[in-house]
Amino acid sequence: MSDAHAEATHPHDAHHVNYFAIFVALLVCTALSVVFDLVPLNGYIVTFLVLAVATAKAMFVMTYFMHLKFEGGWKFVILLPTAILAVGLMIALTPDIGLHYYTYDVPQVREYDKAHGIEFGAPHAEAEHAHDGHSAAPADKPGH
Amino acid sequence: MSHANHTPAMKMGIPIPNSKLGMWLFLGTEIMFFTAFIGTYIVCFFGSPGWPTSTEVTHINIALGGINTFVLILSSYFVVVAHEAMGLRDFVKARKFLTYTFALACVFLGIKGVEYKGKFDHNILPGRIAENQFQLMNNRAREFETVLNKELDKIVPGRQLPYEKEKELEKRREEALKADPKSVTVQTIDAWRELRVQLETLRTDLSANKLTPEQVEERIHHLPNNVIDIQAQMYHDQKIIPYGNLFASCYFLMTGFHAIHVIVGMILFARPLTSTLDERWTDWVENSGLYWHFVDLVWIFLFPLLYIVPGSLGHAM
Repeated sequence: MSDAHAEATHPHDAHHVNYFAIFVALLVCTALSVVFDLVPLNGYIVTFLVLAVATAKAMFVMTYFMHLKFEGGWKFVILLPTAILAVGLMIALTPDIGLHYYTYDVPQVREYDKAHGIEFGAPHAEAEHAHDGHSAAPADKPGH
Repeated sequence: MSHANHTPAMKMGIPIPNSKLGMWLFLGTEIMFFTAFIGTYIVCFFGSPGWPTSTEVTHINIALGGINTFVLILSSYFVVVAHEAMGLRDFVKARKFLTYTFALACVFLGIKGVEYKGKFDHNILPGRIAENQFQLMNNRAREFETVLNKELDKIVPGRQLPYEKEKELEKRREEALKADPKSVTVQTIDAWRELRVQLETLRTDLSANKLTPEQVEERIHHLPNNVIDIQAQMYHDQKIIPYGNLFASCYFLMTGFHAIHVIVGMILFARPLTSTLDERWTDWVENSGLYWHFVDLVWIFLFPLLYIVPGSLGHAM
C-alpha cells in the first residue's frame, strides 16, 4: 500500500503549468477591476463587474496555483459543503439584517429619518445611503 | 486476518499525502470562517441606511489596497515557483523564492500598518465613533478630560488617581512659589487649574443640554494654550458617522484576521527557511503554498468589497 501511495504522491509532475502566464492573467484582472472602478458606469454594474473579476481571479488561483485542476473528485467533497454553508449564512441573515422587512427601531434609523425628513415607521423604497458623514446640522436641537 | 502475503484489491484513500488532505480540510473550515465575517459585512452594509461609503470619512486608501493586492498576487506566484523548484530538487531556487515570498509578506504587513495608523489617527475605532450630536459632544468633552489627565500626570507623576493628584497640586504650587515665584511649575499648575475649570463648565453646560457641537468646538478652540497646548493633542476632524462603529468593527475584524493569517503564513515559511532545505520539506512547502494561496484568495475578495464597492454603490444611491 505504501508503494502505491508513494507513486501516486506527486501525480502532477506530469502536468506542466505556465505559472507566469497565470500571474500575468491575474495582473490583467487586477488592472481591469481598477479600470472598471474609474469608468463612470452605474454603481451596481461596476459592483457586478468588479466582483466578477474577483471571482475570475479566485478561479485562476484555485485551479492553477492551488493545482485543483489536476486533483480528483475529493476537491468537491471538501469545497462544496463549505461553499454551500458560506452562501447559506448570507441568505439566512439577509431578511432580518439586510432587508428589514419590519420597522427597525434603532437610533441610527431614527437619526436617518430625521435628517431626511422621513416619518419614522414609513417604509423605505430601498436602502438609501448618504455617502458621507455629516457634521452637526445646526437646525437639529442640541442633545438627544 | 494475516497481512503477510495479501495485497489489497481496492486502493484505500485519496492519492495525496495526509498532510495535504489535512491542509485542504483546514482550508475548507477557513473558507467558512472568513465568509462568516465577509457575509456579515455585506449584509450589514445593505441593511444600514447611511453606512459610510466616502473615503474621506472612512479613510480607506484605495491606492494602498491596490498595491497590497499586487504584493499578494506576486507572492503567490513566487510560492508556486518555489514549490515547482522543490519538485525539481532545485533547492537553491526554492529557498530564493521562499525568501522573496516572506519579504513580500513583510511588505504587505507594513502597508497594512500604515493603513491602520491612518485609522487610529482619525479615531476610526469600534466604540469610539460618534453617531449623533450628543455622542459627538460627549466624545469631545471626554477627550479634553483625557488630555487634561495626561498633563496632570506630567505635573504629578505617580500612580495615584487624578483626584488624589489634584489635591497634591496645592502643596506643590506652594513649594514652587517659595523657591521661585515665576517658576514654570507655578505657571503650569495655574494653567492646568484654569483648564480644569473650563472642563467643568463644559460638562455642566453639556448636561444641561445648552450646547450645540459648534459651540463645543468654539470653546475648545478658544482654550488658553500659551502654557499647556491642549488643542494639539486632540483629534482635529471628528465627524458624526452613522453606523461608523459597525463599519469599524467589520473593517478591523476582516482585515485583522486576514493579517493574523498572513503572520501565521510567515511562520510557516520561516520553518523551512531556518533549516536546510531538502526533499523532506517538499510536502511542507506545498502545503504552506496552499495556505498562502488561500490567504491571497481572501484578500482578492476583501479588496473589492472594502475598497471599490462602497465607493461605487455610495455614488449610485
